[in-house]
Amino acid sequence: MQPIVLGIETSCDETAIGIVRGRTLLANVIASSVDEHARFGGVVPEIASRAHLEAMLPSIERALKDAAISLSDIDAVAVTAGPGLVGALLVGVASASGLAQGLGRPLYGVNHLAAHVSVDYLTHTQPTDPTIALLVSGGHSSLLQVDDITRSVTKLGATMDDAAGEAFDKIARILELGFPGGPAIDREAVNGNASAIDFPRGLTTTQDWASRPYDFSFSGLKTAVARYLESTPSIVRADVAASFQEAIVDVLLLKALAACKSSGIDSLVIAGGVAANSRLREVATERCEKAGIQLRIPSPALCTDNGAMVASLGSLMVSAGRPATQGAFDADSSLKVEQVSL
Amino acid sequence: MTISLAIDTSTSRTIVGIIDEQRVIFEKFHEGATDHGRALSQLVAEALKVSAPPQQVVVGMGPGPFTGLRVGISFAHTFALARTIPVIGICSLDAIAIDQNEYTVATDARRKEIYWARYRNGVRVEGPAVSKPADVDGFIADHYPDMKKLVSLAQTQNVTEPMYLRRPDAVPTAER
Repeated sequence: MQPIVLGIETSCDETAIGIVRGRTLLANVIASSVDEHARFGGVVPEIASRAHLEAMLPSIERALKDAAISLSDIDAVAVTAGPGLVGALLVGVASASGLAQGLGRPLYGVNHLAAHVSVDYLTHTQPTDPTIALLVSGGHSSLLQVDDITRSVTKLGATMDDAAGEAFDKIARILELGFPGGPAIDREAVNGNASAIDFPRGLTTTQDWASRPYDFSFSGLKTAVARYLESTPSIVRADVAASFQEAIVDVLLLKALAACKSSGIDSLVIAGGVAANSRLREVATERCEKAGIQLRIPSPALCTDNGAMVASLGSLMVSAGRPATQGAFDADSSLKVEQVSL
Repeated sequence: MTISLAIDTSTSRTIVGIIDEQRVIFEKFHEGATDHGRALSQLVAEALKVSAPPQQVVVGMGPGPFTGLRVGISFAHTFALARTIPVIGICSLDAIAIDQNEYTVATDARRKEIYWARYRNGVRVEGPAVSKPADVDGFIADHYPDMKKLVSLAQTQNVTEPMYLRRPDAVPTAER
């Protein structure tokens, strides 16, 4: 029997419930408070936490309905334990604990980042690990080596300042394209010339490649865009958006492919909200094909924060015979990526 | 006879009780303003061991510091959902038991403020509100919600929204 696992994700501004049976996705319900944050230009933790509490029960009920199962059919509950906003995470963890204790089922506290990678296992039947994973979102930009998604994830590098998605948000704000910035820049860039402006690729000097080959830095890029806008009298907004996007996409893939090459792992998973970016998907497809690397990118709906990814990782843990989280646990806002589960 | 699981996380304490009508089967608390998540599931696990399955959940809806408050409410909601039993929300200040005809109770609201409410003959006549301590006369602090009283209030009230009393701290981009 394949386990039915309900996953709860509340690390940022999405209240998300996913249900899987084994590797089959049964339901993926997402309630977002993104509109409430738009006028603040970013996610307000307290607003997000309030919205999680409000959306939790309706989302669970909706997911059960979509999956056409009842709560008693659930074999295990999984929840994002971190990293993320602590107040937001706590709503998810408390809800998951109440559910697991009410049902008398095991509870798995899992890592948000590992869950992002594991969602790919729902769309591909072949085992995905070992693989290199590029995880890019509004809160994270990491390059990981995944030897076993249920217990062995190694961080190769990460951003030293802004996350890639954060850079999208900030540049979108300067360009007055609105929040969230990722989709806004993606749309604007469609009509722009990506090579119009040569924006910097952070941490790609010879010295950087020697000392920190898999780390990222986007703050210099952000400054370069701001300076360009200040010093250029008549800008073509679409060109700025396209050139900025190109710089990010280029550097992300340069480093991801370098990690594949040096590790000898010819598989790359790209996950996280920024993986929904159309240019990233396009260039990744081209370069991976050329390099003979098997590329896996989940569908856009499974790239952004969702509950299916949490359920997916939970299901993989159950199938691999990993123990449930023992005893009570708290949310860990700075949970390290190496810690796949609590 | 109704067995109630009572939960309150509106103060620095995580409090859990099992009340069978007016009989206290279990009542325990854990002190720690940032421990609600961990403490609550531990205490509930302990409580369930000594009790027949609860038939309703009664939960303190605040006012109280937001993050801890939400832990209790979230847990109560999903536990009740899982057991298909009702959940009833109570104003946490109402559950503070004081043996007087007229009194004002207060709990720590942080930022040098208090959450408070005033009672006369067992009825709340003012509040709940959040104020500076200097602006509230003769309040009793250092008392915590009582699980037996919390459960007894479930017959007469059902608060469905968390009592935040404060708006989130955030400034719209346009006003910066």
